[in-house]
Amino acid sequence: MQRIRSRPGPRARLTVWLLAALLCWANQPLSAAQEIRLGEIDPLSGPLAKHGQEIHQGILYAVEEANARGGVAGHPVKLLSRDDQSKPDVAVNQAQDLIFRGKVAGLVGGYVDSLVGPISQQAARHRVPYVASASLQQAFTGNKNPFFFRVSCLEGIVQPLCQFLSQTLKTKRVALLHAATPGATEFSDLVQADLHRRDIATVLQEKFRPGWPDFSVFLLKVPAARAETLISGGFYGDNLILVRQLRQRPLGLKAFIAPWGVAYQSFIDEVGQAGEGLFGACAWSPGITQPGTEKESQELVAGFRKKFGKDPNTTTMHGYTSARALLAALETVLQEGAKPTGEAVSRALAKLDLNLPMERLAFDAHGDPRHYQQVIVQIQKQRLVVVYPPERATGQVDFSLAAR
Amino acid sequence: MWVGTPIIFSGLALGSFYALMALGFSLILSVARVFNLAHGEMILLSGYLAFVLWQFFQAPFFWLLPICSLALLALTLPLHYLLRRLPEPYGLNSLMVTLGLALLLQSLLLAWFSADYRLMRLDWPAVAIPGLDFSFLSFQGLLIILALAVTAGVHLVLQRTFLGKALRATIQDREAAQVAGINVNQMGLVAFGLGGLLIGLAGPLFAQNMYLYPAAGTEATMIAIVVTIFAGLGRTRNILLGGWLLGLTQSVAVFTMGSKWRELVSAALLLLLLYFRPEGLSLKKER
Repeated sequence: MQRIRSRPGPRARLTVWLLAALLCWANQPLSAAQEIRLGEIDPLSGPLAKHGQEIHQGILYAVEEANARGGVAGHPVKLLSRDDQSKPDVAVNQAQDLIFRGKVAGLVGGYVDSLVGPISQQAARHRVPYVASASLQQAFTGNKNPFFFRVSCLEGIVQPLCQFLSQTLKTKRVALLHAATPGATEFSDLVQADLHRRDIATVLQEKFRPGWPDFSVFLLKVPAARAETLISGGFYGDNLILVRQLRQRPLGLKAFIAPWGVAYQSFIDEVGQAGEGLFGACAWSPGITQPGTEKESQELVAGFRKKFGKDPNTTTMHGYTSARALLAALETVLQEGAKPTGEAVSRALAKLDLNLPMERLAFDAHGDPRHYQQVIVQIQKQRLVVVYPPERATGQVDFSLAAR
Repeated sequence: MWVGTPIIFSGLALGSFYALMALGFSLILSVARVFNLAHGEMILLSGYLAFVLWQFFQAPFFWLLPICSLALLALTLPLHYLLRRLPEPYGLNSLMVTLGLALLLQSLLLAWFSADYRLMRLDWPAVAIPGLDFSFLSFQGLLIILALAVTAGVHLVLQRTFLGKALRATIQDREAAQVAGINVNQMGLVAFGLGGLLIGLAGPLFAQNMYLYPAAGTEATMIAIVVTIFAGLGRTRNILLGGWLLGLTQSVAVFTMGSKWRELVSAALLLLLLYFRPEGLSLKKER
């Protein structure tokens, strides 16, 4: 049977022309005046609001700083901030809203893994780059989500902490108390494994739900287990109570160390004398900055103080760093004259190498930061003194002050 | 010293704290039939008031207790008038109104005090018991004494006064009390007044024992609900017993099994209690 080949009709031709025009328009670079939209999701209310708002201020500052410099490759940047109310389901809704209605070029922000995880899944599903401000769980980057990046990682906390315990404190027996969150649990297990390799015994390892008012019974078990050092994987609020109860009942410990919540000026102000000698960890603080970024750091502190009437802290700087990463990647894409699609921005993020006050920021193949490393600090005379690593130390460990 | 002594003492202090958080909630629920979901936020409000008085006016801790009690009394009385005007179904409507109030108070606290954690930094000396190798914190002792005194006070009002008789009648059978000539609306007002005093009292204790932040009220409301279920509705005197049972169970669980078992053991105890004694911890079983 002979096949009849018919010419396309005027309707079909029109459709083809329209599709071609649409494709051309979609690949057009943005016009100079067109704004770039960034979506931010943070816990601005609910139990995590303190740190969520700190991250938000860091992001806001980075965006305003970029706009003051003339925007990103000449485009003004608009920040669309959303509150996830410290709830994962709300975080998902907000991410979808920002992606579909807000038409954002990228997502930024997020505090704790239970909130960052669902947002990272949305980012992968809808091919939108997401730079998380505070995320630790290793599983998130293990799955190779090409749209997910973060400015912090567990290794950057666990390694200096364990080295400090073994090299400087020379402790032999530790007790580990940590919050029952995915990131804190993973932190605790990694510390335990690392210390085991260094011949340091973890004689007590327990987890608790954040918001617990009474650690007194747990503290009874610490001297009974003959622990020399107590490591707290709890957060800011829990450490406030733990430190107060520890001061009321001295246990004969060599040291108390908490990577989260202690290295804040506000914590020092809240606990007063009870804070003297405590150890904490931080990635940045006013006066504790990445070598070579001192001037930038000082300017940032001054500008931030002028805008918000207070000093930024390590959490604020996580927000600032994540926003700077996304803005830098967008700038690269736009300067190349390309459209800032999810794929293009993610590729630019993967190639990024920035020297920022908190860290030299470059991502590995999984989206983890290559150079993120916290320092160990001790509270001495109401101030944070860097005591480890030696090349960044600003003072010596005061062992008599550390004893609990 | 026997190892159990500090555990029991800690459990009793924790239980007393729970009881003090729950007394106002239980009284309002029993008499006025209002499931006050803003209970925790009202405790927080009192706690923040205590914090402000302590931080900016250096008010001594023991002054904070009556001041905050009176302040919350002034808040709960208008709340009673607001709730009284609600149409049927009263239980559901009052639940929704108090939920709205909780959200409103949370937002106000966030706006007024920011999301920062606030701690009342008071030094409570340790008290040693002569002859025993055991010392406890004076604040823990204060919690136990206050819980005993307040429970005894509420119990005396309910058992030994004419007003208490009328309140008990309203708790037992609202309709029958009304038929007997008791003004149940007025009893509701009294319950809100007493409840407000108790909520106000709990605020500074919460601020001292824990830390303040705008979303902390949910935790306090949960404590109050659980302890009220332990005690049984309308059994105000069993609140202390319920708090102690919960506190002791948690302390023993933490010591013997570990911190992670605290919630699980509490939940298991609550389920067992609901199954075997749904009427609560009453000594006499209801017929």
